[in-house]
Amino acid sequence: MNTHVLIIGAGTTGTGIARDLSLRGIQCVLVDKGDINAGASGANHGLLHSGARYVFKDGEAAVECRDESRLLKHLAPQCIEDTGGLFVAVEMDDDNYIADFPGMCDKYHIPCKMISTREARELEPCLAPDLKAAFAVEDAVVDPFMLSLDNAADAQLHGTTIMRNTAVTGFRKENGQITSATVLNTRTGETQEIEALQYVNATGAWADTVSAMAGVNIPMIYSKGSLLVTQDRINQQVINRLRRASDADILVPGGTVSIIGTTSVEIDSLDEIRPTPEEVDSIIKEGAVMVPELEKTRYIRAYAGVRPLVSTQNGQGRSITRNYTLKDHLKDGLENFISITGGKLTTYRLMAEKASDIIARRLKNYEPCLTAERELPASKKGEWTEPAKSARLWMNKKDPKGTLICECEMVSEQMVNHIVDSLKSEGARPTLREVGNRSRIGKGPCQGTFCSFRLASYLYGTEELVDTEGLEQVREFVNERWKGFMPLVRDKELMRVELQESFLCGLFGLEKEIHDT
Amino acid sequence: MTPETVDSKNILPCKLAVIGAGMAGIAAAVFAANRNIPTVQVGRVSEIGFSSGCLDLFATLPHPEVRSEYSQGEHTCSGSTQAFDHPFEGIEHLVKAYPSHPYARLTRQEIETGFDEFMQFMAGAGIEYHCGTDTNPRIITPAGTLKSTWCVPSFMQEGSRAIEEKKRILIVDIKGLKGFGALQIAQNLKKILPGVQGKTITFPGRETSGDLHCEHLGRDLENPGLFDRFAQTLMPHVKDVDVVGLPAILGIYRFDAARHKLEQVIGKKVFEIPTLAPSVTGMRIKEASLSRLPQLGVTGFSSLVKQIDMDSDGDFMFNVTRGLETVTVKAKYLLIATGRFMGRGLVVEDGIIREQLMGLPVYQPRNRSQWFHRDFFHAQGHPINRAGVETDACFRPLDIRGKVFHPRLFTAGSLIAHQDWKREKSGAGVSIASAIKAVATIAEQG
Ligand SMILES: Cc1cc2nc3c(=O)[nH]c(=O)nc-3n(C[C@H](O)[C@H](O)[C@H](O)COP(=O)(O)OP(=O)(O)OC[C@H]3O[C@@H](n4cnc5c(N)ncnc54)[C@H](O)[C@@H]3O)c2cc1C
Ligand SMILES: Cc1cc2nc3c(=O)[nH]c(=O)nc-3n(C[C@H](O)[C@H](O)[C@H](O)COP(=O)(O)OP(=O)(O)OC[C@H]3O[C@@H](n4cnc5c(N)ncnc54)[C@H](O)[C@@H]3O)c2cc1C
Repeated sequence: MNTHVLIIGAGTTGTGIARDLSLRGIQCVLVDKGDINAGASGANHGLLHSGARYVFKDGEAAVECRDESRLLKHLAPQCIEDTGGLFVAVEMDDDNYIADFPGMCDKYHIPCKMISTREARELEPCLAPDLKAAFAVEDAVVDPFMLSLDNAADAQLHGTTIMRNTAVTGFRKENGQITSATVLNTRTGETQEIEALQYVNATGAWADTVSAMAGVNIPMIYSKGSLLVTQDRINQQVINRLRRASDADILVPGGTVSIIGTTSVEIDSLDEIRPTPEEVDSIIKEGAVMVPELEKTRYIRAYAGVRPLVSTQNGQGRSITRNYTLKDHLKDGLENFISITGGKLTTYRLMAEKASDIIARRLKNYEPCLTAERELPASKKGEWTEPAKSARLWMNKKDPKGTLICECEMVSEQMVNHIVDSLKSEGARPTLREVGNRSRIGKGPCQGTFCSFRLASYLYGTEELVDTEGLEQVREFVNERWKGFMPLVRDKELMRVELQESFLCGLFGLEKEIHDT
Repeated sequence: MTPETVDSKNILPCKLAVIGAGMAGIAAAVFAANRNIPTVQVGRVSEIGFSSGCLDLFATLPHPEVRSEYSQGEHTCSGSTQAFDHPFEGIEHLVKAYPSHPYARLTRQEIETGFDEFMQFMAGAGIEYHCGTDTNPRIITPAGTLKSTWCVPSFMQEGSRAIEEKKRILIVDIKGLKGFGALQIAQNLKKILPGVQGKTITFPGRETSGDLHCEHLGRDLENPGLFDRFAQTLMPHVKDVDVVGLPAILGIYRFDAARHKLEQVIGKKVFEIPTLAPSVTGMRIKEASLSRLPQLGVTGFSSLVKQIDMDSDGDFMFNVTRGLETVTVKAKYLLIATGRFMGRGLVVEDGIIREQLMGLPVYQPRNRSQWFHRDFFHAQGHPINRAGVETDACFRPLDIRGKVFHPRLFTAGSLIAHQDWKREKSGAGVSIASAIKAVATIAEQG
């Protein structure tokens, strides 16, 4: 296979680069070992930063967030819920930090308005009674899935080929150049070579793993962050704790839910990215200081993502940056390979622009970057992923023939048909996992107990599934949801687990080899 | 025998108070009535309403090997299970692997007596069961798997027979009735039952409606006109088959009559397959048994008990409500069958599992991170499933020193420790067997 540019990693960064380059008329292949947003882009907080959060630690990042968040609200409104945000401090928080905050925001021209604690509690009745300071900022909420799917769709429209379940496993090199990348189809086990003029490593936390395949090191530390999703939406705006960044500082609303997080736990390997019961307990305890009902509320899911923290040398020794790292591997003796990692979702477009500039210049393409001006077209692809989006569409559309497959999140048979069609058009099989990735199925309170099963029945009915594969897929689907639910099981959740296990094991016997009866 | 009536102080004296209206509570009340023990029963909705309607005894031994899994990496299938066709033979292996299992306290004869008495009671309540003679009969589940069980209700009987005799089965589903797929069942079963086919039909009068429920269809079928049209819709598809399997749409009360009528019209045997929640087959059992118990003289309260006291006679005292009225039950013997987390017999406080009603000690994993395996389907079963109340040989709960908590306090059902009914397929069995032993002991003590 031949292309101009091979982009490795289909998170926000990789899909952003694919769109940017293809808009400049450059032919790209985008590969991911999993699906779109299989990495941190699918496991983050979804906060579109106004920049206020970074005014103390990283002025540059603060300014980038300020500018990029404004651009995105403009150019990709379909992916954004412009909620506004608050920074609040409770009795125990540091007074000096609070006092300095508005000045620091001013310094970087980040809008920040002091409001009374009464007003803050009127806006967000969930806030703790012992509030002592509150500021309004321009934070918003972004749907990372829709963002990446829309970027991917526009890139495809402009000639990019997207290959999912395709992992880069090695590179061939010759005279300071990469000549091809070896890729493995993780589903079929087949390998092939992709020859490109330029190679972009946009693999986030895996950047070092991938660059190492080309003999280059990117020293980094992995910081795992865990987040909890509540069953109901608790807050209207983003709520930040006004203190030095720490655990469970941010409560982000989105659709019908709220998300509290994160933690920051250094891990050694990327094999095991899961939230632990201990993290869950600590998030709830810390979060409840700011929003007391976090102690009592029901949670539907926990998940974790990894931030790659790239070490950079400076005079004082090692320091870690949360901002992005763009490495031109020319210095490492490779002429056609760059890596881009770290950074934020909020600044993905800027990161993509910087990376694309280098690549375009190397290919002697002098077209300007268009992503800062051109709207990101809303594609059909991401349509059903936004929490509660499907519920809204369903309510609007009174179709007596429509049957709901997922009652918690109101996903209907028609929506499933749409997703099935779009998966097939990409050459993918419509498995439970794939349909789940593209919809809200399984993400509501029942955690897939009923809907995974209904979805399987439906797909058998439309002859997309045969033999026992549907049951295997139910198992896989349930286990994937279990990963995010198990650490949350504390008290009332036990009833739900018991019911689920009664059906899946007590009645169906799915723990056994299917048909080992 | 009916307990004495409420006296002027609204006190209702009885010999035995059963707390719980699940399988175990119902079974205990039945066995007490059979032994002429004046009994009061208290409880609310239970797991029965979800159950398939079959009575399980034992079918699968989860591998007991204890492995510290928390240090291991990701995996999806681990350990092994052993299936048994002969449940009583299997139970011998089970109690060897889990010596504290409730079945270890029971003889085969005691278990059989329990099932016999319970089936007789159910027959009186309008549901005939057919018990396995030595091996477990099997039923078709809505997933398209086969489930081994012990007693099969009349409305599933033809299905079990068709499996054993490898007959040509037509599974029918109904457009708009989700979570029940005839093709799913047929696809999954085709390797072991080559004669199985699936067919989707539309329900008369509901051709365009999106969300159908078994209960509503059952009500529709009580209308003779709709019933006939439904039967006519089936007719063209049944030519080359021996039996027809339907989702459980034949109603909550007159299902036998409806089935027989359908069999007459289409000229083929018919059976029903249980569906997911709400489970019509489970509701049949619940409705039938709870309306039968008063006829045997058991006084029932659909109420929750908050607290249990002892009076100066040493009797158990607790309040229940009926409408606006509060009644104080005074019982010489108390049997708690309050179930697990769904029943609220077990609750969690500060990360510790507690018995909700009397604060009985609960056998449990060391801490929350040990409750579950990472693989939901781990063959060993989750450690938390064997948490529960430990008992002596006649199912009297033990205190923290391992002594009997109170000589007249008994327990039964899924609240008991060291069993994992979901994995063992022993739900009704554990409930019935523990209940009969406890009640027989009470009857002996007088
Ligand atoms: C817990 C947490 C919370 C966060 N919250 C926010 C927030 O609120 N707001 C914000 O702006 N930012 C947030 N971020 C940061 C943001 O999520 C990331 O910066 C961003 O998603 C990074 O995107 P990426 O495309 O660079 O990397 P990723 O999304 O990680 O993408 C890398 C991709 O590479 C693929 N890959 C890896 N190896 C290979 C291979 N060998 N071959 C092919 N493909 C491969 C992976 O499957 C993956 O899909 C958060 C991050 C974390 C971890
Ligand atoms: C989905 C599902 C499918 C099943 N399928 C089968 C099957 O096919 N075959 C089979 O054999 N078994 C099956 N079972 C299991 C069977 O129903 C249970 O094993 C059995 O019901 C356990 O019974 P139990 O009486 O111990 O507890 P439960 O059924 O949980 O009943 C507990 C009772 O105690 C009452 N209670 C609790 N606390 C109080 C209080 N403080 N005051 C008053 N009352 C109280 C509750 O209201 C309830 O009535 C199934 C269960 C489920 C959930």
